[in-house]
Amino acid sequence: MLRTLAAKAVVPVALTVTGFVVVCCSLLYGYIRADMVSTAVRQEIGLADTIVKSTRYAMLKADRETLRQTINDIGSQQGVEHVRVFNKKGLVMFSADPREIGALVDKETEGCSECHSGETPALRLGPMEQARNFHNARGEEVLAITAPIYNEAGCAEASCHFHPEGNRVLGTLDIGLSQHELRGNLLNLRSRMVIFCAMVLVLTVGGVLALLLRNVFLPLYRLRGYVRSAALDGSGEHFFSGGAEEVEEIGGHVRDLSASLFRAREELVAARQRIAALEKRLGE
Amino acid sequence: METGQQKGLEGPELTNSAAGSEGEGGGRLEACSLRIKGLRGRPVQGALGVVLFVLLSLLALRVEALFPVIPAGLRRLLGASPSTDLINIALVVYSFSALILILSRMMGGDLRYRGWVHLGYMGGFFLFYLYAGALKENFWAIFAAGITIFALEYFNLWTACQEEIRREEKVLRFLSAQEKPGEGD
Repeated sequence: MLRTLAAKAVVPVALTVTGFVVVCCSLLYGYIRADMVSTAVRQEIGLADTIVKSTRYAMLKADRETLRQTINDIGSQQGVEHVRVFNKKGLVMFSADPREIGALVDKETEGCSECHSGETPALRLGPMEQARNFHNARGEEVLAITAPIYNEAGCAEASCHFHPEGNRVLGTLDIGLSQHELRGNLLNLRSRMVIFCAMVLVLTVGGVLALLLRNVFLPLYRLRGYVRSAALDGSGEHFFSGGAEEVEEIGGHVRDLSASLFRAREELVAARQRIAALEKRLGE
Repeated sequence: METGQQKGLEGPELTNSAAGSEGEGGGRLEACSLRIKGLRGRPVQGALGVVLFVLLSLLALRVEALFPVIPAGLRRLLGASPSTDLINIALVVYSFSALILILSRMMGGDLRYRGWVHLGYMGGFFLFYLYAGALKENFWAIFAAGITIFALEYFNLWTACQEEIRREEKVLRFLSAQEKPGEGD
C-alpha cells in the first residue's frame, strides 16, 4: 500500500504537518498552563492580601471573636480548602478547621521552608515562591498561599496590646484553594487541542489527496487507460483529454507514436505482400 | 533530479547502477545482486534510529526519578541554564528546519541515512530541558518532534531504497536477458 503514488505523496505531508502541529500545540499548552497557574497564584495572593487587610482592624483591637468568625466564614466558601493564621512560632491561632487550632506548624514543610531555609528567615518572597501545590487527604490538588502579616506602626504603638518594634513579621496567613476547576479547564483545553490536531491531520491529508487526485492521479489513470486501448489501435483519431496539460501532452505523443508505428506496420505488411507477389511472378 | 525510475534500460544508462561496474557478464550480474541485497538491508538503519530515539525518550522520562537533583558543583561549573522560552524557540526552529531538509532530500531520492545526527540533537534538547528543570512539562513536545523526524527519515530511506531496488531489478533482468539470448523481457 505504501508503494502507491498516493501513499508516497500523502504520508510525508501528513506526518510532517501533524508532527509539527503536535510539537507547537504541546509547547502552546505549556505556555497556557503556566499563564493560568500564574494567574491563579496572583488571584490567590490578592485574596490573601484582602483577608489580611479586612482582618487588620480586628487584629489591631485584639478582637479574637470577630477574627475567628471571619476566618470561619472564609473557610466555608466553596473551593476554599483551608484558612489558618499562625503566629511567629508556628502555632495555629485561628483556623476554619477547629481541630488545627493550637497545633504547631513544621517549619521544614513545603510552604514554610522557602522563608525558613536559612539561619534568619526571609522577610519577603516573590509571588511564585509564596505558592505551593499539594494533594489533600481527599486527593484533590490544592494551591496554597502563605501571606506574612507584617508589624505596622499601629501594632507597635497600640494602647490595648503591642508588639515590639523589632518584630518584623507577626504571623502568617495560610490559605489553600482547590485546583479542581483549573485542572478541569486545562483538561478541556488539552482535549480541544487533540481535536484540533486531528482536524488538521484530516484536512491536510484530505486536501492534499483531493488536489493530487484531481490534478495528478486521475489524469494519470485516464492516460493509462488511453494508452492501453484507444492509442494502440493506431488510427490516430482518438484524442486524449486528461484534465492536466502535461499529461495531455504525453497522451498526444503516445497517440502520434502509435499512429506512426501503425503506419510503419501497414507499410511493412504491404511491402511483404509486394515481395511475395514478385517472388510468385518470378517463380512462374 | 533524475531518479532511477525515470531511466530506461538502454545500454548507456546502465552505467549509473551496479551494471556499469567493472567486469563483464557474470561479474556485473553479481554486482547488481549485491547492490540489491545492500539496498534491502539499508532501511534497517531507519528502524534502528526510531528504536534508539524511543529508548532515549524512555531514559529521559526516567532520568528525573534517577537523578532528582543536579549537583550544586555541576551547576556552579555550568552556570545558569537558558530560559525555557529560548529552548522552546530553539526546538521549534530545529524541528521546522529538520523537516524541511528531510522533505527536500526526499525530492532528490537521497539514499543516505542522516538520522544519527538528530539523535544527538534530541539528546541535547533533553539535557537542556532537564538542566532548566522543565523536562517533565516539555517531554511530549520533544518526543513528538523526534518521532516525526525519525519516522520521516525512515520513510524517506525506505522509499528511496524501494525505488532503487526496483530499478536494479530491471537492470538485472536486462543483463540476464543479454546473458541468455532468446529469453528475458
